[in-house]
Amino acid sequence: MDRSLRRRLEARFGDRLTGPVRQRHDQTEIRIRPADVPEVMRELHDDPTLGFEILADLAGVDTGTHMQVVFHLWSATTPDWLRVVADGMPRDDPRIPTLTGLWPGAEWMERETYDMFGIIFEGNRDLRRIYMPPDYTSFPLRKDFYLADDAARSPGGGVRHMEQTHAPTQATPSVVRRTVKA
Amino acid sequence: MTTTTPPQHPSADDPRILLDDQIGAFEAVPPYPPRTEREAEFYSLGDGEMFLNMGPQHPSTHGVLRVVLKIDGERVVDLDPVLGYLHRGVEKLCETSDFHHIISQLDPLEYISSLFMEWAPVMAFEQLLDVQVPRRAEYIRVLTGELNRVASHALFQGWMALDLGGLTPILYSFIERDEIVEMLAAITGQRMLFNYFRIGGVNGDLNHEFMSRLGDWMSRASVQNQANTDLLNDNEIFVRRMRGIGRLDRETALRMGTTGPNIRAAGVPFDIRRAHPYSVYPELEFDIPTRGHDGGGDSLDRYLLRIDEVKQSLRIIDQCLHNMPDGPVMAGLPRLLRPRPGRAWAAVEAPRGLFGTYVISDGTDQPFRMKIHDPSFVNLQLVGLLMKGNLIADTMAVMASLDPVMGGIDK
Repeated sequence: MDRSLRRRLEARFGDRLTGPVRQRHDQTEIRIRPADVPEVMRELHDDPTLGFEILADLAGVDTGTHMQVVFHLWSATTPDWLRVVADGMPRDDPRIPTLTGLWPGAEWMERETYDMFGIIFEGNRDLRRIYMPPDYTSFPLRKDFYLADDAARSPGGGVRHMEQTHAPTQATPSVVRRTVKA
Repeated sequence: MTTTTPPQHPSADDPRILLDDQIGAFEAVPPYPPRTEREAEFYSLGDGEMFLNMGPQHPSTHGVLRVVLKIDGERVVDLDPVLGYLHRGVEKLCETSDFHHIISQLDPLEYISSLFMEWAPVMAFEQLLDVQVPRRAEYIRVLTGELNRVASHALFQGWMALDLGGLTPILYSFIERDEIVEMLAAITGQRMLFNYFRIGGVNGDLNHEFMSRLGDWMSRASVQNQANTDLLNDNEIFVRRMRGIGRLDRETALRMGTTGPNIRAAGVPFDIRRAHPYSVYPELEFDIPTRGHDGGGDSLDRYLLRIDEVKQSLRIIDQCLHNMPDGPVMAGLPRLLRPRPGRAWAAVEAPRGLFGTYVISDGTDQPFRMKIHDPSFVNLQLVGLLMKGNLIADTMAVMASLDPVMGGIDK
């Protein structure tokens, strides 16, 4: 845990952070609003005291109630990974500005996140499906995506196996059980 | 007695059979209006241009990758990679299997460097569970991991030549790779999809067969590696087809999210083993080779860099064998793991770059969300930049030098 990074981030971003800076193991986590992403990322990248010049990952998350986009960044100025969580997008119309202006390499990661979660990255000029066929209509990694033989839907929550449920289609959808504060 | 003629099976070679035009043919141009700005731009032809569909079964696309090339004569003007032919939904599978099962789901991602596909998730789960891995297990992980890296790079060396039309080097590559694979089979029980790392350690301790095979191989590894290298590095055709093709500069490499040998060949010494040390790498002595200091690295730099890395891996293996501590290889853990709700991210330096895993736990025995970051996926984006303006045959050299593996790209 890099305490000085925490102080630097708090001083720099102040009220743009929507929650406290969290630290665990070798990771520092900040939460921001989706609309602030380009501005915050550009400062993280350009400021020489922060210098987060490598975008290690871009992940979508469906918490069951809303959508998130999670970025992991690396910098030579800190021994920690920085996790930036853009939180609080509504599930029915999740939108976030693109990062391709700063990191053109984010294009495919955004395409993948769009393909799997339906999150619209505004400004990405090639936001097509990347894995699923072009005529596909659903978003497979959403929590309400229907899996006919999903062992997780059994009453045992994956501990007992699906033969416990005689009609898996009538089991409780996992989105009801598995709503967490991610 | 009447003789019955055998039934005639229709064959595609039979001239009496008229094949529908659509059968077996991929339409290069999608049969629907363009959905994005980029798609509209790509699928409109300029003067003298045409589309050429390459793949998904083309042998030099390293798996099932399809690339639509827009060509002007023999020059590639632009290209559009089409992915998804190997998509298995591994992330969704991980959300519905428990933490132990996940390890075996991940092996087939990059099937020639499977140990690294197990390593990052296992590290992330250990963070969630606050498990301390025994030191001997960490050393075994590094030892087997580096062996796997050597095997992967050896295969790259052969593939690279194969994509340029040379058949011989891959046969020599397979000799070296097969040695290592048999060695790892002795310790893990599998030749390719090892399923060896466990949360809190590894599945089995070093055994006699592994050690004797390893000792045998180590005594001639550097000589054999040098012989394989000389076979290609002294080949003028090979070198001339690689030099100056697909030049990637430092700034572009960083902005494109490139990692692994590809970014180091562009002059950026970014290696997770030193940039964000994990396991016992801080205790080991090795260098991070870089190339392409004169403003960018070409295909030849990317090829040579992997050979440099093999030499460093041999150094690490040697140190692991000398420093290997005694002790257990597994931490004591219950069979059913239920980490506290939380989030973890772990990344390792796989042979192709940063392999990372982001896991969210909701307190059950399955992850709530598991994101897999595969280096080949990000590195493959570079083909769009590096292939433009080259001859079709040279695009193969560029793609091979990036060393993508479709199993990981398509997840």
